[in-house]
Amino acid sequence: MFADYSIFAMLAVAMLGALVSLALPRPRDVLRLIVAISAIELALAANLWASVLANGFVTAADEWFYVDAFSAFYVVVLVLVFLLSSAFAGVYFAHETGEHGFTLPVAHRFGALWLGSLTAMMLVLVSNNLGIMWVGMEATTLLSAFLISLHPSRLSLEAMWKYLIICSVGIAFAFIGTIFAAASIQSAGGVPADALFWTKLSSADVKLDPTLMRFAFIFILVGYGTKTGLAPIHSWLPDAHSQAPTPVSAMFSGFLLNTALYCIMRFVPPARHALGADFADGLLIFFGTLSILVAAGFIVFQSDAKRLLAYHSVEHLGIITLGFGLGPLGTFAALFHTLNHSVCKSLAFFAVGRLGQQAGSHDMHMLSGALRADRLWGIALLGSVLALIGVAPFSVFMSEYQLLRAAAGGGAWLVLVLFLAASSVVFLSALRHLIDMAFGDPPSPVRGARPGAPNGNSGALIVVSAMGLLLLLGVWMPVWFSGALGSAAAVLGPRL
Amino acid sequence: MPAALDSIHAIALVTCFALLGTSRIGACIRWLSLQGILLGLVPLITHDDGLGLRVMLLAGGNIALKGMIFPWVLLRLRARTSYPREVEPFVGFVASILFGIVALGLSVWLALELKPALPHAPFLMLETAIFVVSIGLFMIISRRSALMQVIGYLMLENGIFVFGVITVVETPLLVELGVLLDAFVAVFVMGIAIFHINREFGSMDVDQLNALRG
Repeated sequence: MFADYSIFAMLAVAMLGALVSLALPRPRDVLRLIVAISAIELALAANLWASVLANGFVTAADEWFYVDAFSAFYVVVLVLVFLLSSAFAGVYFAHETGEHGFTLPVAHRFGALWLGSLTAMMLVLVSNNLGIMWVGMEATTLLSAFLISLHPSRLSLEAMWKYLIICSVGIAFAFIGTIFAAASIQSAGGVPADALFWTKLSSADVKLDPTLMRFAFIFILVGYGTKTGLAPIHSWLPDAHSQAPTPVSAMFSGFLLNTALYCIMRFVPPARHALGADFADGLLIFFGTLSILVAAGFIVFQSDAKRLLAYHSVEHLGIITLGFGLGPLGTFAALFHTLNHSVCKSLAFFAVGRLGQQAGSHDMHMLSGALRADRLWGIALLGSVLALIGVAPFSVFMSEYQLLRAAAGGGAWLVLVLFLAASSVVFLSALRHLIDMAFGDPPSPVRGARPGAPNGNSGALIVVSAMGLLLLLGVWMPVWFSGALGSAAAVLGPRL
Repeated sequence: MPAALDSIHAIALVTCFALLGTSRIGACIRWLSLQGILLGLVPLITHDDGLGLRVMLLAGGNIALKGMIFPWVLLRLRARTSYPREVEPFVGFVASILFGIVALGLSVWLALELKPALPHAPFLMLETAIFVVSIGLFMIISRRSALMQVIGYLMLENGIFVFGVITVVETPLLVELGVLLDAFVAVFVMGIAIFHINREFGSMDVDQLNALRG
């Protein structure tokens, strides 16, 4: 009901929240505000999703906003990740002291940029106009850059500068691609005024110039792919993820990368339409597989737990991209994997963040003996990393299994073999790291270590709900949920 | 109006080669300003259906931002931060100019390839756009100073602007304004970042940003 208003409401609530957070008198209030805003957004997103599933789409503002089953699913995942990460921010920043203390100026900066990033990502997902989508994407880069260096230090500034420059250049490339896409419709005699609407570009009765569409898709894939973290243009990602405060790392990994991938996927239907399915799918499969292989190579040699998780993000975004290239079944699996990866990776970052606070370092040797040091986050680390590398009965296993079936069904044997080989490497090396971290002997305490800090109820609530969701979806997928994923997949290609 | 486009094309090429060969950052910023003003004029010339409010706003906004405000911000930043006033390239000036010549050849070739698909776009401007983008990218990669990377990024924006103007005849004003706003914020964000980097490292050479690897 009133679903078109809920699009406006979602944007307005997040933006107002960003402004209000600047005026709050205490850091604690900012942390409460971001949880409250995320909870309101979740209710609005659920309402929007239900309405989209009932009616097929929701549109507002003269079709400038257009949400279909595909974007509605992304909106729900976005808000879920933000709710989890906002709740965790309350736990995390309560334990930060000294030069990393959560003082009032830091809290104001964090609240405004955090909710500002939420607004920008929301704008990307609900926009029908590819130009506005691009504006939103660039805005996420600019807003989130200072979240990485929330506490300016040499390392965080280095990570932030790399992120800023590499992603700005990447997104500039995406803009060239957007122009090519809009031009492809014009020179074939279409209507120029709405050439930038993706609903227009994907509609079957529009003729697209194949040469220009080919250029468009390559620029889009490289441009937005930079921000998705696809190899070999992922170089900013491990730095940014490892240096940012943990709630920010979780949000980057859990959703920011997916936003960029969403933008690429909006160009896939027109590319398939103009050039046939093989061109776009081939590129998606190539970059997806390459990312999985490159990430597997780096995961073996990591010593920093947050960098390890960052390379896992490269791997999993590669898996999702690969899935999108494997036809309707693969798309279904990729969407399911998007949700699983987002929840699972956020939880893994939370655990490493809290354990790292207690150990005074994110070095994996310093984190060893986590289960003894802190029962709650030790279990969270164990569970989330096991889920992340695809252990049954967690839902990540299910989505990867579906993806394998899609690859086998499509006869993509080479991809199947490469994927299995890389997954085995990741599985073994991540398991080795994990066993040391979870069951090893605790190291002698270092400066800055604060062992045994109380966690409170909200920490337990976060862990239980995230693990519960991963387990539940691993053993039982409700009919309405698989229906929702099916209609989201149908947006990108023929119906299942 | 091919004569005006000819001149813009020629002067734009000069600004690119000047940026490749200039060793003082202050001079680079002034060349960038000239390039911004020059390329901001392109929509006024290529729009043959009269000078509507939209075109005037677009050209005026671009000239004001890229020709005046951004260079002013960059000059202020240079004055506020302490570091050598030289460009300090990873790639020498002679090699840079040679790269420029090769890039020019490649731009002409690429523009010829694209010409059949984009029949409405003036060929010279197409070539200029590709050339400016490639030089901008080269500046980002080949210069040590963070300020020069921002200059490279703005050249990239200049090239993309020309490309957008000549290929997409009717972009909604809202989108144009959004793009301009993003460029505006980007320059300020990069400026603040440089300010922090300068304070923390006592320099703004990006080759000092080398602690994070693997």
